[in-house]
Amino acid sequence: MILDQLILPWLLAWLMVGLGAYLVAVLDRLLATGSARDGSVWLAPLASAAWLMTQQATTTEAPDAPAWRLAPALYLALAATGLALVPWSPTLVGVDLATSLVLWGSLEALATVVIFLHGWSANAHLALIGAYRYVALGLSYLLISMFVLIGVALPAESLRLTEVVAAQTSLWHVVSQPLGLPLFLMVGLGLTFWGPLDLADSTDLSGGTAVERSGPPRLVWALARAAMLVAFSAIAATAFLGGWLGPWLPGPAWLLIKSLAVLVALLWLGRRLPRFAPERCVTLMWVVLLPLSFIDLIWAGAVALWMA
Amino acid sequence: MTPSLGTHIAFGVLAAFAVLTGWRVFCTDSMVRASFFLLLSFIAVGAIMILLTAEYLGVAMFCMMAVEMMVMALFMVMFMMNPAGLNPMKMVHQERVAIVVGVIAFVVLSAVAVLSEFPDAPLPAEHVPTISLGRELLGDSMLVFETAGVVLLTTMVGVVVLSSRRGRYGCADDGSMPPGLEPGGEPAGQPSEEEGEHTHHHH
Repeated sequence: MILDQLILPWLLAWLMVGLGAYLVAVLDRLLATGSARDGSVWLAPLASAAWLMTQQATTTEAPDAPAWRLAPALYLALAATGLALVPWSPTLVGVDLATSLVLWGSLEALATVVIFLHGWSANAHLALIGAYRYVALGLSYLLISMFVLIGVALPAESLRLTEVVAAQTSLWHVVSQPLGLPLFLMVGLGLTFWGPLDLADSTDLSGGTAVERSGPPRLVWALARAAMLVAFSAIAATAFLGGWLGPWLPGPAWLLIKSLAVLVALLWLGRRLPRFAPERCVTLMWVVLLPLSFIDLIWAGAVALWMA
Repeated sequence: MTPSLGTHIAFGVLAAFAVLTGWRVFCTDSMVRASFFLLLSFIAVGAIMILLTAEYLGVAMFCMMAVEMMVMALFMVMFMMNPAGLNPMKMVHQERVAIVVGVIAFVVLSAVAVLSEFPDAPLPAEHVPTISLGRELLGDSMLVFETAGVVLLTTMVGVVVLSSRRGRYGCADDGSMPPGLEPGGEPAGQPSEEEGEHTHHHH
């Protein structure tokens, strides 16, 4: 029981955090163009991580000590918890909670708190602007995410991720709910403030919430963002691409392939989509994407009734 | 089913953590810190609910309280004219009333916990917490309530969109300008028009 319920999920989650974060750095470099590609694709992420490990962890004049110390670790813990929820096969699941879909939603909500605290606790103005900016944006992503995820739960008649996958045996949700995955991908870019939605840690705030960070905590923060992107890809593959379902290969292999496809799509979008101004981004979320998520939910309900 | 030793230990640790962080809410001098100490306390209570196999209520507690405390901290900072929530302020008001009410509530709740007889109804083997909770709360009215929820949210977004058109300084479509410092004067706080010149007017 201890092996099944404690050690296995722990190992699964942390293995994915470590390997996945490295993979994100490598893939992002492969997709980059220009000077962002300088150096060896495989070694450069390790070299910059090792460099950060040797640097001093500076601090600001009067930070909120507990939040300042804990925020990067908490964000990493949220990503690891997300990875523990992913079902690899009908039996190989880290944490098989009856409400794992809602738990993923609450991880997204808690991420808002942690990102806010990361910027707020520094007690420095640019970090603070980044923090408040993320709250304004994060609340808009959350609602879209909730509606899209409710749409996924409807045909399964369950909030358990394994049953969400089982409900896709005949048709994956990416086909039966065509609006779901594109909307959810935007939520993913927002949740990890990646690419066009990197408005919390953006260059116009010279690094935003992470502007005062240096050394190992900065490495943990970068690792946590990458790990959250991996966790998000795995959840998206589970909710929309049929998770472990597929012919010939074993379940975990299919999940890996699908998660990798979502991850590459996210990183590609991150490199190719234009950036928005934050206030335009809020308008886009509330006026365009949120109504689209309503339509997705109605569509999902109608399809679920029709197919039942 | 008697709970295992691990469950007892987890309950004790979580309960102590919930009380400790709840107490810290009133010791801190910052609205933001107070909100997030309260969030920590609620998270511990949510974890206790999961221990009690109320899986949906526990996880929904994480979700709702995270958003609620975040929004509460944000709005308190916005409305209290406290720049960025960094100014210290007192978290305790009307102390005598609060102490009396607190003691009464504690005594009543403790009396309920100690004196009442709880029913001894073992869980059925096929217990699905989400479905049974939904039937218990809403029964056949589920569809009505869910529809009403989405309609209410749409209404809220619509009201914000309609009402934010007329802003503090006039209609947003006309390009709203703040009023002048004197009646009929130039709009206040606008960048000066003679840019590039080094002479600035000081009033």
